[in-house]
Amino acid sequence: MASMLGKRKRRTIEISKGDRDESGESDASGLDVQEIFRRHFEAQFKPLPAAQKSLKPVAEESADESEEDSDWEGISDDEENAVQVVEHTEAQARAAAMSKEELKSFMSSKLPKSAPLVSVLRDKAGASIEDDPSEAANLKKDLALQRLLAESHLLDSARSPTLSGNNRHKATDLRLQALGSKTSILKQEKMPMSHRKGIITKNSEKEDRRRREARENGIILEKAKMKKTSEGMRDRGVGAPGVGKFSGGTLKLSKKDISDIEGPQRGTAGRGGRGGGRGRGKRGR
Amino acid sequence: MATPAPEFLRFTTHKSLAQRLVLSTLTGKPIHISQIRSSSTTNPGLTPHEISFLRLLDSITNGSVMQISYTGTTLTYMPGLITGGAVTGGSGDVVRCALPETCRRGVSWFLLPLCMLAPFSKGPVNVRFEGEGVITSATETGDVCVDTIRTAILPLYEQFGIMGSKLELRVLQRSCAGPSGKGGGGVVELRFGSQVRLPKTLHLNRSPGRVKRIRGVAYCTGVAASGNARMIHAARGVLNPLVSDVHVAAQYDQAPLVSRGDKSDPKAKKRTGIGFGLCLIAESSSEGVIYSADVPAPSSGGVTPEDIGKQCAYQLLDNISQGGCVTRVGAPTVLTLMALGSEDVGRLRLGRDVIGTEDIIGLGRDLKKFGASNWGLRDAEDDGSGDIIVSVKGSAVGNVGRKIA
Repeated sequence: MASMLGKRKRRTIEISKGDRDESGESDASGLDVQEIFRRHFEAQFKPLPAAQKSLKPVAEESADESEEDSDWEGISDDEENAVQVVEHTEAQARAAAMSKEELKSFMSSKLPKSAPLVSVLRDKAGASIEDDPSEAANLKKDLALQRLLAESHLLDSARSPTLSGNNRHKATDLRLQALGSKTSILKQEKMPMSHRKGIITKNSEKEDRRRREARENGIILEKAKMKKTSEGMRDRGVGAPGVGKFSGGTLKLSKKDISDIEGPQRGTAGRGGRGGGRGRGKRGR
Repeated sequence: MATPAPEFLRFTTHKSLAQRLVLSTLTGKPIHISQIRSSSTTNPGLTPHEISFLRLLDSITNGSVMQISYTGTTLTYMPGLITGGAVTGGSGDVVRCALPETCRRGVSWFLLPLCMLAPFSKGPVNVRFEGEGVITSATETGDVCVDTIRTAILPLYEQFGIMGSKLELRVLQRSCAGPSGKGGGGVVELRFGSQVRLPKTLHLNRSPGRVKRIRGVAYCTGVAASGNARMIHAARGVLNPLVSDVHVAAQYDQAPLVSRGDKSDPKAKKRTGIGFGLCLIAESSSEGVIYSADVPAPSSGGVTPEDIGKQCAYQLLDNISQGGCVTRVGAPTVLTLMALGSEDVGRLRLGRDVIGTEDIIGLGRDLKKFGASNWGLRDAEDDGSGDIIVSVKGSAVGNVGRKIA
C-alpha cells in the first residue's frame, strides 16, 4: 500500500506540472498580460517563487483520486509547502542473499570468520606475485586479465556471483572452445528421445518468437539459417544390400527400386533407348 | 574420620546455579546450596534441567561427588577433575547427554557453562546433547539460540588464546520449544578441542567502534519456510537504513520426530518442537566486539514472523545502544575467564546497563566468595559513552589437569 501511495503522489505532481505547461500554451488568449511577462522573465532568469496557478489543478486532481480510492484522503493544502518524503522500502523487497561461499562458512559448524577471506595470489615459493616485475609474472597477469575479460559475463548472474560451481564449468567450456573444441562439454549426449524433442521444439519456438517479435517491432535480424535438406542417399552401412530394404529375412524392393533396376522401358523410350542408341552408328550402315 | 570435613562454600536458592557449579568445579572448592525453591509448594527443589546439568558435570569430570536431599532443596557438590570424559571406549569420542522431555531451558543454558569448563579440561570436551528435551532455538525463558552461541559467544574465546579452529558446534537437528515450552527433540554436538593452561590476559578496553556488518540466522522448524523471508524482510526494514551490510541466512528444517510415549505402542512417533525465530549478530569495526539479539516465537503461537523480525532488530539496536565491548549474554563468560587467568590485571569495557544487571553483580560476588579478587570499576573517560571499565585481576587458577608438576 505504501508503494501505491508513493506512486500516486508522484503522478499528481507530474500532472500538475503538465497542467501548468498546457495552460501556458493552449489557452494563451485567456492569460493576462502579467502571466506572459512572468513566463518571459522566468525564461530569461529563474522561476519566480509563487506559483499560484498550480495549486488549483492539484486540488482537483486529488479530489478525483480520493473518489476512486477511499483509503487515501488526498493532499491537504498544508502539504503543499512541506517536503515530500518518498520511502523506497517496498522496492527493496528482494532480500539480497549471502553469497554461496559466505553462507557456507557462516552456517557451518565452525566459528564464522570475522573477516571475509582475501585471496592473495601466491606462487610456489610463497611470495606474493603482486609485486613481481618479471616477464613471467606479467604474462600470468596478462592471462588472468584475458580470462577475466572473456569470462566476466558469467559473474553477472545474480544467483552465483562467484567463479565457482556452475560458473566454473561454464568458464572451462569457454576456454576449451577457445582452444578449438568442436562440442561443448556441457552438451548432454544421451537423453530420452522425448526430452530431446522437447528441448528442440522449445528452442525452435523461442527462436520463432524472437524472430516474430523482431519483425513486429521492425528490427532486422540476421538471416535465418536454412535447414539442410536430406543429402541424397543415406548411408546404407556395411553388409547391407545395395538396393531395397532387407527385413525379416526378405529383400523388399519398392516399385521405384524395380523400375530403377529395369531401366527405362523400351516402349516409351522408343528408338532412343540406350541399348540401340545411335551412338554405335551400326544401323546407319 | 581420617579426612577433615571439607570447608563448603554456602549458597542459597537456585539463582545462577549453573554458574556456581562451574566456579566450584574450576576452583576446586566444594559448595553447599540450600533453600532451592524451598518456598514453592508445587515444584520444590531442583528442576529437570538442573539435574541434567549435574549429570553432565558428573560425566565430564572425574571424582566429583554430589548429594541431593530428598526434597531436592539442598545440594552438596564436591568437584573433581575436569577430564572431558572422552576416555569411554564404546560410543566414540563424544559424551552423550540426554535431556528429559520436561526440560524448559534451551540447550544454550547447558552450553554456556559447559564452554566455560571446557578450556580447563584435561582432554577435549566433546558432548552431544540429544533426547526429547533439547531445544536449539532461543526460548521464552531467556536462553539464546545455538547460532548465537556459535557466532557470538564462541568467538569470544579466541581472545583468550583458545584456538577458534578447534571449536565446533554442530547442529544435527534443530528444534524449537515444544508445546507449552517443554521439550524439543534437537541434536547438538559441541566439540571443544582446544585447552589452555592459563587463559591470556584480556585487554578489551578500547572503544567498541561502530557496527560494520550485521549477520544472522532465521530459522523455521516445522512451519512454513516463507516465515524466514518474512522475518528477514521485517528485520531488514529496520536495520537497512542504519547499516547497508545486512545479510541473514534462512534455515528451514523439518520438525524433529520423537517417541509418542505410550506404552502400548512404543514405536509410535510424533513431531514436536515446532516454531520459528530470528537471531542477529552485529559485528563492530573494533575487533572482537560482537553484539547479538535473539527473539523466538512463543510456543503458544499467535505472533507473525514480521513481529518477530522487527522485535529482534529492535533488540539488537537496544543491545548495541547499551554499548561496551561485550553484551549481557557474553559478559559472564568473559569475566569468568578473566578471573581465572594469570595474575595480571585485565581490562574489559562494559556498558553501564550491562554491568548493572543482577547477573553480573551476582557473578562478581560469587567470584569473590570463590577466592578471586575484587573487580575495579572506573568510568571510561575517552568519550561520553558512559561505559565502565572493569579491571579484573586473575587468580591464576587455570587448568589443574595441565599443571606442570
